[in-house]
Amino acid sequence: MDPQRLSSLLSERFGDKLQVVRVEPRRLYIKVDHSIAHDVARMLKEQGFVMPITMGGTDFPKKNVIEIFYGVWSPDHDFVVVMKFDIDRNEPRFKTFIDIWPGVHNYERETWELLGVDIEGHPRLKLLLLPDDWSFEEEGHPLRKDFDATKYRSPWGDER
Amino acid sequence: MSYDMHRYLTDPFQEIEELGGGLFKLNIGPQHPISGQGRFIVLTDGEIVYDIEVDIGYSHRGIEKILEYKNYIQAVVPLERMVMLDTSNILMGFVRAVEDLYGIEPPPRAKYIRTIINELNRISSHLYALGLFAESAGWNPAVFIWTTVDREPILDILEMITGARWSHSFFIPGGVRADLPRGVKERILDTMDYLERRLEVYEDAWIYNETFRMRTEGVGILPRDKALEWGAAGPSLRASGVKYDTRLNEPYSAYPELDFRIVTHTAGDSYARGWVRFEEIKVSIDLVRQAIENIPEGPVKKALPPRPVKEETLARAETARGEINFYIYTEGRDKPYRVKISPASFRNFFVIEQMPKIQEIKLADVPPLIYSFDPWFLDADR
Repeated sequence: MDPQRLSSLLSERFGDKLQVVRVEPRRLYIKVDHSIAHDVARMLKEQGFVMPITMGGTDFPKKNVIEIFYGVWSPDHDFVVVMKFDIDRNEPRFKTFIDIWPGVHNYERETWELLGVDIEGHPRLKLLLLPDDWSFEEEGHPLRKDFDATKYRSPWGDER
Repeated sequence: MSYDMHRYLTDPFQEIEELGGGLFKLNIGPQHPISGQGRFIVLTDGEIVYDIEVDIGYSHRGIEKILEYKNYIQAVVPLERMVMLDTSNILMGFVRAVEDLYGIEPPPRAKYIRTIINELNRISSHLYALGLFAESAGWNPAVFIWTTVDREPILDILEMITGARWSHSFFIPGGVRADLPRGVKERILDTMDYLERRLEVYEDAWIYNETFRMRTEGVGILPRDKALEWGAAGPSLRASGVKYDTRLNEPYSAYPELDFRIVTHTAGDSYARGWVRFEEIKVSIDLVRQAIENIPEGPVKKALPPRPVKEETLARAETARGEINFYIYTEGRDKPYRVKISPASFRNFFVIEQMPKIQEIKLADVPPLIYSFDPWFLDADR
């Protein structure tokens, strides 16, 4: 199967709730509605996309959304599907994908702490990369766009 | 038997703590358990290991955030700090992503120079990893000293080409910074001959040695389906029988024009992971020879167009530790809006955590198990 074929399979099944962003020789970028994200993920896994290779989120304060993306690879078809969906920035939460792709465990933890997205049903939401005494109330989430990273400039001078 | 070990997460400086019921919590780290700062919390009952928790983040530098403030050329320097042994391969993923965003291809000569430097870096990184692996299995310190000494001629060549032994900053989007210096071809070929002779010594003395095999065979078996599901990367994936190498599956640089094979093993144990690394050194030597013989003439760099043509991309490259991929979202500016780096060690650490759940692991086997994955804390922390 190639990305073109999979994209038509997916659009056939999910209709206008799924939008094919771009098809490339080894990539397929899709944007789905939050409500069907798990169904799409399950279908992708049935099609052989078992290996998660990346996961994260992008903060868009102007649009007031956080875009979550999952990248999965299939050993049979040898291409990558990037599935994206938007969540509300004021109420950032979605259900975990661990039951579908167990390998996203640490990626979801990282997204939780760095982007401030609550991941429902995740068994181990505790700090991974940030220091143990990090306070979300006082210092915020580093990958949010309103986080001021210049506060943490080196004490040894201006290194821009 | 299941224990909620996360409530035991207390003082990292208390090495052994008795938890009652015959259970012990053992801290390996956080000062330099492999290379870099990080901690393995091992929950044991006598000799049996029930759980391994990996505590990373001691050297989190926020590289993803830093890159949001840099343009694509400036980004090269902070990125290299992820793995100092393997800087060019780490950078290759980023450079591929940027070239994809701008829709350009580097000149052919630059592709060959990149291939040569990538493979030299891979050899040096694998030698270091194998030295540590030998040390973990009790071959202390002979093999580690051998491999460290044998990395030197490679670092000298890299210094000759790029001006630096480790962090070269030599690749830029659109090509490489400079052409090859005079006399480097002979030197590379000499060094490759030398290395090949040394590998024979390693084979005799160490890698096919019965004692070493007894120590590592059957330790930490990672089945194929679990390797895929948990997202193991690089040699750890190939040792479990998955024939996947980004260099061939997603061809970049000069790799599609060169002739090489993917090294795989079906056992999936610690020995297999080490063996795959060892065989990959031979493949890399062969690749360097082919590349230096067939290198075309021409320019080595190309200017970037003023604006990116694509909004987002996901680019993959093969580092010594496995696949690294970069998801870059740009708003059509010369700075990235968001960079997501997904390094190989981050994935392999998760696999290490899962290993005691599918098989019985003895405490004495924990070091060979961990080192066989060749994880790198700075790589995972970013």
